[in-house]
Amino acid sequence: MRMATRLLTAFVGWALLTGFVSAQEAPPPAPVIKPGTSQERVQADISTREVAIQSDFSGIEILIFGSIDFSDARMPSQGTYDVIALVRGPDDSITVRRKTRVAGIWVNGPSATYPDAPSFYAVLSSRPVRAITSNDTLHGLGIGLSELDFGRETAGNPQEQSFESALIRLMEERNLYTENDSGVVFIGRSLFRATVALPANVPTGRYRVEVYLFRDGDLASKTKGSLEVNKVGMEATIYNLAFHQPFLYGVLGIAIAVLAGLMGWIAFRRD
Amino acid sequence: MSTRLLTDQTMFQIYLPIAEISVNLLVMLGLGAAVGFLSGMFGVGGGFLLTPFLMLSGIPPAIAVATGANQIVGTSVSGTLAQWRRGNVDLHMGAILIAGGVAGALIGVLLLRYLRGVGQAGLIISLTYVVFLGTIGTLMLWESVNAMRRHRAGKTVSARKSGQHNWIHGLPFKMRFPRSRLYISAIPPLVIGALVGLLAAFLGVGGGFIMVPAMIYILRMPTNVVVGTSIFQIIFVTALATLLHATLNHTLDILLAFLLIIGGVIGGQFGVRAGQKLRGEQLRALLALMVLGVGVRILIDLVVRPADLYSIIPMSGG
Repeated sequence: MRMATRLLTAFVGWALLTGFVSAQEAPPPAPVIKPGTSQERVQADISTREVAIQSDFSGIEILIFGSIDFSDARMPSQGTYDVIALVRGPDDSITVRRKTRVAGIWVNGPSATYPDAPSFYAVLSSRPVRAITSNDTLHGLGIGLSELDFGRETAGNPQEQSFESALIRLMEERNLYTENDSGVVFIGRSLFRATVALPANVPTGRYRVEVYLFRDGDLASKTKGSLEVNKVGMEATIYNLAFHQPFLYGVLGIAIAVLAGLMGWIAFRRD
Repeated sequence: MSTRLLTDQTMFQIYLPIAEISVNLLVMLGLGAAVGFLSGMFGVGGGFLLTPFLMLSGIPPAIAVATGANQIVGTSVSGTLAQWRRGNVDLHMGAILIAGGVAGALIGVLLLRYLRGVGQAGLIISLTYVVFLGTIGTLMLWESVNAMRRHRAGKTVSARKSGQHNWIHGLPFKMRFPRSRLYISAIPPLVIGALVGLLAAFLGVGGGFIMVPAMIYILRMPTNVVVGTSIFQIIFVTALATLLHATLNHTLDILLAFLLIIGGVIGGQFGVRAGQKLRGEQLRALLALMVLGVGVRILIDLVVRPADLYSIIPMSGG
């Protein structure tokens, strides 16, 4: 008896549902989500939590991948969501110098030191960041090379601004600062991936990885992670010795040189 | 695009732990061999070529200087042993030169440390290179061309005019140098040693390009002991410069030095043999041309408007 009732209820429900859809002949309206009340959550991880710099290190590509939970997007092409991924290396003090001509020779003239410049900075996004959200939001989150804070007041001073743009340009030439408008690629409705190239000259230390999810220009969710870039093996041994046991390290350098010279002479002498 | 770039370069690439860049293994071995060849041939450390080339390969100047000094230790050891077997090392003279060199090296390392702090190390290093290489190169070329002309005219030439006295002989603290058959004051070799030590530490050179002419023209040492004694002194001065740079400036890259030494030691042995096939004045003319060439190259870099007026120096790097 109870079994029959349940079957009947299911049938009626199915009939109602199909009838409703065929009567409307259109997809249901997108649910109205007020800013700040959206359900979506972004989750992301990095393919490599630790980048090991060894003697054969010539750069590496790391993959940031993630998904949007409770995605409302029906189709990948719908463009409801945008993702911006940020990879930021440890801050370093960087000095920018400008050459001037003195008596026919180009010498280092004025300089500017930026105490808190990121040693590495990469912005990857699914679209150009300015198309994703407002400048105010980008400024607030510190997204984009133009929003970087180097720990030095530069506003309204053309000399300072030329130094800052030189710093950004030179770091871009070294592949240490990058902006990639199509660096985040969606796979299906809710999966995305982004690859970041860490060049051979990548600075060591702890990297912060931030992934922001935007829905129609508003920040819906964000997640954070980190990444360690370390010298390992022989590289780490040499580096530690050089900075913690410099005298021993110098003696070792001389000993290797003397030994190599001695062996070269023994190997090649004819008399 | 970046993916291809990274994988294409992986062959023979090696990461340098102190310079913090990736370089080509074969290029560094070849550079060491070429410089070692010249070192063996002319009895110079070869640093005046090595250090500028390292800087051109993207090695920070201070690391190029310290690592260059370390490389010269290796090539000088094998070069000295080869010269020693031929009895071409004047130990007495070498000891006096080393004593002066120790003082000079200390001053040089401290000077470089100060200039790095004020951001003018690169400029002063370059200017010093231009002045020294230009002067020495011109003088040597002038002298050797004259010698060759006289040789062609059928006259016998000797760089050492024995019996001819100059101002050197008026100085006190005279010492006997049996191997060089000299009885001169200890002051000129001390001063020359100090100057060479300063250059070794400050420019990452052995200083042979200044010591060899100084020994010939100022001390009037016989040419056959000049090369051996010069290269003998270079071992000690560059070893001290290496140690001071490693301790005070943390600018020595052992891995890079090792690659350069391997190439250098092999090249050096061939250089010694090649040098024996050339006459003294030809050798000096060739060295003079090379010295001038490097000087002109550095001068051009100083005078020509740089492609980029701006440069950046991260504090954690060299």
